[in-house]
Amino acid sequence: MDPKHIRNFSIIAHIDHGKSTLADRMLELSGAVRKRDMKDQLLDDMELERERGITIKARAVTVPYTLDGETYQLNLIDTPGHVDFNYEVEKSMQACEGAVLLVDASQGVEAQTVANAYLAIEADLEILPVLNKVDLSHARPDETAEEIENSLAIEATDAAAISAKTGVGVEEVIRRVIERIPAPTGDPNAALRALIFDAVYDEYRGVIVYLRVVDGTLRKKDLVRMLGTGKIFETVEIGRFTPKMTAAPELRAGEVGYFVSNIKKLGDVRVGDTMAIKGTEVKMLPGYREPQHMVYADFYPTNPGDYETMRDALETLSLSDSSLSFEPVTSDALGFGYRCGFLGLLHMEIIEQRLEREHDLDMIQTAPSVTYKIVKADGEEEWVYSPGALPGPDQFEELCEPIARVSMLLPTEFIGAVMQISSDHRGLFIRQDHLSPTRVQLMYDIPLAEIMYDFYDKLKSATRGYGTLNYEITGYKADDLVKLKILVNAKEVDALSAIVHRSRADTRGRATLKKLRKEIPRHLFEVRLQAAIGAKILARESIAALRKDVTAKCYGGDISRKRKLLEKQKAGKRRMRQVGDVDIPQKAFLSVLGGEDK
Amino acid sequence: MASPFSTSPKTRPVPPLSRAKAGTPLYVHLPFCAAKCHYCDFFSVPDEDQDVDGMSAAILREAERRAPRSPRTVFFGGGTPSLFTEGQLAHLLDRLDALTGWRASAREVTAECNPESLDEAKARALLRLGVRRVSLGVQSLDDATLARFGRVHTSAQALRAYDAARAAGLDHVNVDMIYAAPGQSPARWESELERVLALEPDHLSAYNLTFEPGTRFHLELQRGSIAGVPEEDELAMLDTTRAACARAGLEPYEISNYAGPGEACEHNVNYWNNGPYVGIGPSAVSKVGHARAGNVRGIASYLARIGADGNAAVWSEELGPVARLGETWWLGLRLARGVEPARARATAGFEGGADRDPALEVVASLERSGHVEREGDRVRLTPAGLPVADAVGRRFLGIGR
Ligand SMILES: Nc1nc2c(ncn2[C@@H]2O[C@H](COP(=O)(O)OP(=O)(O)O)[C@@H](O)[C@H]2O)c(=O)[nH]1
Ligand code: SF4
Repeated sequence: MDPKHIRNFSIIAHIDHGKSTLADRMLELSGAVRKRDMKDQLLDDMELERERGITIKARAVTVPYTLDGETYQLNLIDTPGHVDFNYEVEKSMQACEGAVLLVDASQGVEAQTVANAYLAIEADLEILPVLNKVDLSHARPDETAEEIENSLAIEATDAAAISAKTGVGVEEVIRRVIERIPAPTGDPNAALRALIFDAVYDEYRGVIVYLRVVDGTLRKKDLVRMLGTGKIFETVEIGRFTPKMTAAPELRAGEVGYFVSNIKKLGDVRVGDTMAIKGTEVKMLPGYREPQHMVYADFYPTNPGDYETMRDALETLSLSDSSLSFEPVTSDALGFGYRCGFLGLLHMEIIEQRLEREHDLDMIQTAPSVTYKIVKADGEEEWVYSPGALPGPDQFEELCEPIARVSMLLPTEFIGAVMQISSDHRGLFIRQDHLSPTRVQLMYDIPLAEIMYDFYDKLKSATRGYGTLNYEITGYKADDLVKLKILVNAKEVDALSAIVHRSRADTRGRATLKKLRKEIPRHLFEVRLQAAIGAKILARESIAALRKDVTAKCYGGDISRKRKLLEKQKAGKRRMRQVGDVDIPQKAFLSVLGGEDK
Repeated sequence: MASPFSTSPKTRPVPPLSRAKAGTPLYVHLPFCAAKCHYCDFFSVPDEDQDVDGMSAAILREAERRAPRSPRTVFFGGGTPSLFTEGQLAHLLDRLDALTGWRASAREVTAECNPESLDEAKARALLRLGVRRVSLGVQSLDDATLARFGRVHTSAQALRAYDAARAAGLDHVNVDMIYAAPGQSPARWESELERVLALEPDHLSAYNLTFEPGTRFHLELQRGSIAGVPEEDELAMLDTTRAACARAGLEPYEISNYAGPGEACEHNVNYWNNGPYVGIGPSAVSKVGHARAGNVRGIASYLARIGADGNAAVWSEELGPVARLGETWWLGLRLARGVEPARARATAGFEGGADRDPALEVVASLERSGHVEREGDRVRLTPAGLPVADAVGRRFLGIGR
């Protein structure tokens, strides 16, 4: 196909604003899928994604569309919708020339929309604002258009007003995609350069690589080299998603498609890498980097015998998720386990659920912690991946933590409350922009650790659910941070310690002990809880000893049943670990986190 | 293996345990009551329209195959054995004697009785038929509490039944009581208790009320229409009971059981010593060797199974030696005399010696925390350990894992 008949675009939208619905309508109109064959919302396919209503992995689909007698190839590239996967979003956008900015006119612009739209602007994409759900009586398209203009400086007065649900206006959106989004440039006869913007693992075919041909032509059986990793592969099959994988003899400059080789591990392919024909000298496409782990948490099998099973499970998961990292770790309290690195909190939750669901593992998970950096007296820097691993204060000069640039969109009436929460979380005010008479954008620099602690919960409750948030890590900053230790019956439990700002250690210590008190069951003896910095005790709590726990009646007919009952109560909470003589349930290990009932 | 919780008639039968040795204690479960008490989770059903003779026949058929010869002790429980008429009792007990020779062999023969069905004539009949000991379900001497419990008798009837047993010449009488009834204060319990002790029973069982799943009380508790008494009150009532019984010459020999000299219930002590026993009748459990098995909980399904092949067992289990050891400790510590480690190992069939005995590590730790103490070659609960006996027991049940 001639590049001038190709359009590569994505849809930017906040969760639930109608991206999947619009994509489905477009596929229907193109005739690529018959309506009755269509599973609702074709583009999301993992069970987990469906449940959580998010798109974890980018997908792409190629459909033909005829307009005014000319046939076009439309490549719709789906983007993940969460800040944890920003890098993937960036790469997907790099594969496009334009983006449909889809905003639910009954909700207005949300923080995530703004964040992703900025990524699109940075990637130099043509942006087509579209107002969705105008069939709803409470839709307010004019105000929404104004918000788009004010938050993104994008002309939106003639934005298409559509209903993805009824289909009204969808053809107009496609017309605009064809008329306004530029055709890809790139020379099909030049040396091959293709951008890898995604990769998925398939049990039967190995790794399936999503690519955008930037220059040149990729043919079946080509020997290709990944410029970033240096790995060499032979293309066994290439093709397009129509939306099923359909083999094709070649993919030319401007086209989007896939290739399959005998790649066994997702780790062998890096999103953002450039693919070239082996032996040619071409320049790498910009913006490639290794996945950056912002959050770490330790997983320990509840049953120490499951350590190997856990390793196998993590290995299997990392086949299909190259951004997951893991390495063995030991804890005094919890024994042998794995420290895992995640792109963010959502990513962590997804992995946790997959371990439990797909691998049926019972585990203890420590509260997630950000990656800290220490600077030693000689200027040497070192990463600290968990509070337990922080050396003594005499071992370093500075302790630095990651800072996030946080942008929040909220109704104006909540400004005061949100500013209060932000400064309570050590936020530094950056900017305030009024998007419309009723909505405002606030920007703060807030330590990532504070966001993880309970900032998001607080924001949600202070704005009655109307506030949305997006953030981006901007760098590291030294601060007066200390290790808050938790002692259970005078024994330090490394898996419960946290790094906190000195000024908040007291409150934090108290809050953690309160929660532990609720989570740890009563024992035969008093359980004493202490929070401390170094040798200084900041707070104490105690869990009184059990006073009464005895079966009144136990005769021959009851023995087996009563014994099983007691055994169940003992093992009961399957996720319990013994630290010294104290049984600590899984939930207690998350007590270090804020929020109501984490 | 089927679970002991299962009551489904579809449960598959399990092979019966092998025949118990001569002398093994015998339990016979008679599953009918005048009405179902609100706290009770024993298997029993109201006797209205029930075929007592059919049940007797089935029990005898099961006994024919499974009852031990010359049992050391016999216990007729339920249910309410006193609900049977004299004729029904005579038939059942005579035939059972013909099968096992219990009248000659048993040192202790108990029948559970309830006030509404025990008068002097019934008491005399029981005595004549070979029963030596009666356990009378009084439960409370407060009529409002009795009504709440769903009992069908008054406190006056209970006192009359007690007198009837004495008048008939029964020398071994136990009174069953329940404390910590909803709304009961420690003072009120104490006064009920004093009145019971004034009767000079030979034995007293005083149970802290428990809300067992499947009972009406449990349901009401969940709905919030009744509430248990505060923990401190329960503890106070336990203390009161122990003190008052001691004054009355009844020694506490198990968590809920008090006896005058020589009056401890040998049949029950055998359970706490984790000894063998054979149970006959619906829901009855047997322990033979290291295996336990239980009969189906259901009248019709019991009758049907016995009718088919004389076997009503629906679950069985055999624990490994370490688990048996833990179980032996858990049960044995309920007894005031406690557990002798070497005997526990022998009972459990645990082959290692003291140096490999995992229970002793738990003992050492519980000694340090003050929950158990040594007395000669025995280990027993301390006063601090008694009210938390389950938590102590759990430590033993957890050994070896
Ligand atoms: N009323 C109305 N509902 C819509 C419209 N478009 C999508 N929806 C509904 O909004 C919800 C979220 O849509 P979905 O496409 O899953 O959003 P996504 O999270 O952005 O993919 C679904 O219940 C859709 O049926 C629309 O134009 N009008
Ligand atoms: S407590 Fe006794 S009388 Fe009441 S239902 Fe239970 S077995 Fe029958």
